Amino acid sequence: MTFYTTVAEATSGSGDLLSALGINWQLLIIQIVAFLLLVALLGRFVYPWLMKSVDQRQKDIEDAKNASIEAQRAAQQSQKDGEALLDEARREATDIVATAKQEASDIVSTSEEKSRLVAERIAKEARDDIGRDVEAARKQLRAETLELVALATEKVVGKVHTKKPDEALIAEALKESK
Amino acid sequence: MTTRVAAADLHISISAQPLFEVFGITITNAVFTGAVGALIVVAILSFVAIKVRRGSHNRFTGLIQWVFEGLLKQIHAVIPDQRVARHITPLAVTIFFVVLVQYWMSVIPGPESLTWNGVPLLRSLTADLNFTLALAVITIVTVQLYAIKHLGVFANAGRYFRNPLKDPIGAFEGVLELIGEASRGAALALRLFGNAFAGEVLLVIIAVLTSYFASVVLPFFMAFELFIGFIQAYVFFMLALIFTALAVSHHDSDEHTHPSDDPISTKVVHQG
Repeated sequence: MTFYTTVAEATSGSGDLLSALGINWQLLIIQIVAFLLLVALLGRFVYPWLMKSVDQRQKDIEDAKNASIEAQRAAQQSQKDGEALLDEARREATDIVATAKQEASDIVSTSEEKSRLVAERIAKEARDDIGRDVEAARKQLRAETLELVALATEKVVGKVHTKKPDEALIAEALKESK
Repeated sequence: MTTRVAAADLHISISAQPLFEVFGITITNAVFTGAVGALIVVAILSFVAIKVRRGSHNRFTGLIQWVFEGLLKQIHAVIPDQRVARHITPLAVTIFFVVLVQYWMSVIPGPESLTWNGVPLLRSLTADLNFTLALAVITIVTVQLYAIKHLGVFANAGRYFRNPLKDPIGAFEGVLELIGEASRGAALALRLFGNAFAGEVLLVIIAVLTSYFASVVLPFFMAFELFIGFIQAYVFFMLALIFTALAVSHHDSDEHTHPSDDPISTKVVHQG
């Protein structure tokens, strides 16, 4: 801030507007030259460094931006790769599980078939054994029945009959009783 | 209020006051302050450039670099031609920094106590019409040089001087254009001078009116003047760019409307 405590120049008397405004052609030209020299000096020695730093910063920003884009693209690519791997792993896992299920099912079916065959064999053997036992028991029962009938007939008739005609009689009687 | 101002016996001089003479050249207090301001600008920018060159940064260099980068962006935004933008950068940036520092020097409290033969030693260069007129002349001449470079001497002269018999409206438009160029320069010079001078006067008046409370009130007005200084520097910087961009865009618009590029004109020419 400047306080103008000096007496104002008498300007109205001269009638020269430029002088009244303080315009001095000599000073004007000197200031034009001085300012151009200042521009030339700064433009030659100072601004190139500042512009270089700005350009470098812009380049750094551009590089960082490109690196960021590249990293983003790489991240997207690796995400896609990861997803593909995951899909592949899922598919393989699904295949493995399906195969395992199939194999388990086959094993179960095979086991069931084997078990069924074994069970049928055991049941057949058991039926055969039972059939044989029944037949044997039937024969034994028949023989015993014939003997009992013969004994009873002896008791009733009071004489001993030979085995052959008695058996024939008994057999006939049995057939009739059926 | 009038009584108080009158009692302070204030005498405000529009022109800068002479201090001494060097080789027959009168050195005024504005020129002396301008030399100090120019040294400050050179010192600050050189300091920053050296720091940038060495790669050692601090907050101050960061601030100046930030401002410089902002100015560069503005230049490239206003002037689409990158080559012209690079060429005009030293002038435009120097205008900004010089006007800013010179304007802010008028806000520094205390220098009025420094006198030389009863004349205040320091007076802001922006409050001297010689300097603002010099800046305006440099700007207008630079714009004309760019216009001549892009349009050619005769094409550029053709913007102002046309044959009134063939194209009376165009001739009148050329006269208006010529008056416009002159008024642009005058407006550039007077705007900066008016704001700086009025700002200094305002601070003096506020100091006188507030008397003992000046130390409380003045800082607010000083801060306002700092802001106005920034605005004025930015306005001068932007106007220099816009005038240059207009000179260059004249060339571009002429190129775009060339008959061979314009399908409608081409059609008319072929039909003719």
